[in-house]
Amino acid sequence: MARRALYPLFQVGNPQLRVFCPNFFLTLVRPGREQPPDTVQFRIPMEMTKCDVKNYLEKIYSVPVGAVRTRIQYCTNKKRNHLNQRVKRPDYKVAYVQLAQHQTFEFPDIFPTKEAEQEEGSLEAMQEKFMEDEKQRQKPDPRRGGVTEWFGL
Amino acid sequence: MAATAAGRVLTLCRQFQTGLRFSSTLPIQQSALSLARPTSRLFGTPCSFLQNHADIAIQYQSLHTSHCRMGLDEFFDIPENWGEQTVKSGSPWSAKQLRTKSNEDLHKLWYVLLKEKNMLLTIEQESKRQRVPMPSPERLKKVDRSMTRLDTVVKEREDAIRLLQTGQERARPGAWRRNIFGKTIWHRFNEFPIPWYMNRRYKKKRFYTPLFVNPFIRLRVEQYLCRKMRKEKAERKRLNKVLEKITKQSAKA
Repeated sequence: MARRALYPLFQVGNPQLRVFCPNFFLTLVRPGREQPPDTVQFRIPMEMTKCDVKNYLEKIYSVPVGAVRTRIQYCTNKKRNHLNQRVKRPDYKVAYVQLAQHQTFEFPDIFPTKEAEQEEGSLEAMQEKFMEDEKQRQKPDPRRGGVTEWFGL
Repeated sequence: MAATAAGRVLTLCRQFQTGLRFSSTLPIQQSALSLARPTSRLFGTPCSFLQNHADIAIQYQSLHTSHCRMGLDEFFDIPENWGEQTVKSGSPWSAKQLRTKSNEDLHKLWYVLLKEKNMLLTIEQESKRQRVPMPSPERLKKVDRSMTRLDTVVKEREDAIRLLQTGQERARPGAWRRNIFGKTIWHRFNEFPIPWYMNRRYKKKRFYTPLFVNPFIRLRVEQYLCRKMRKEKAERKRLNKVLEKITKQSAKA
């Protein structure tokens, strides 16, 4: 099941083919259209088949797979390069994997906005501190109770 | 990155541990330990040779194997690394390091790298989709490099075994043959279920040159020589022009 490998012809009675180092790479993608909760969408290499996907997920990731459906996504041919030649974006295969045993999957938010913690004494931290000090200085005196600056002795 | 890798490696080591209880052979222990060290990273684990067993005991006390992630979570980085700008990672495995490993270790390492690469591809695609920079994209290259190196090491071993057992130089035998157009090509041998003299598909590739092709071969040779000559002539012309220019300039000055 590996890509670009030459397998010996199968003769009845011979041992089954075994792949020791599969060089197929799956990409789990967030589904564009809404999918049922038990469906996971993958981008898979063109050479991979439904059975391959099932075996791959069951043997390597130990995910129970119910059913696999695949389609081939045609990618655009309209892009032009700087010489105005057509540039084809490579096609890819999409696999919709339905999980078995009532398992569900939801694509997590893997880029949450995190508070950037700055190290002590770094340039950014110093800048931030300076800006805060400046803001503090710009603020009017709270004891004046909102009276303008030019008024008074 | 380091923490992920360590976690992954640790899950892998669990299986090792059970095997280790029974076997006391040193090479396995060494290989297991080099994988098992909690400080070790996925990439570039230097293979340290431990002499005394006290060290081994200390190493094992710090071994922590409670965290085990399986299933589709492995397509993502560990949640601590989500939203980070950069993720730390070591250097890729070098061929020298890989050569010290046993076949079994290499086999396991391949799957570790495979899962790592799947994870990185998933992150890359998601970052493209959300239009945010991918955290530490150099990891992909590192994994690629370690994988190609692992592949070369496995191939080396295969070659050595084949040379010892059969004396054949290539995994896939072949020969230089002349085809119907009189060109010499490297023909890689295929397996056919029927013998070649009965095989229509094999006979379609005609590995002979009929006599009437000879003038065309001559013409092809002539064309090749002409092109070569033209190229040389153009090159000489260009050089002469440059020389002339230089002489003129030097004469002026």
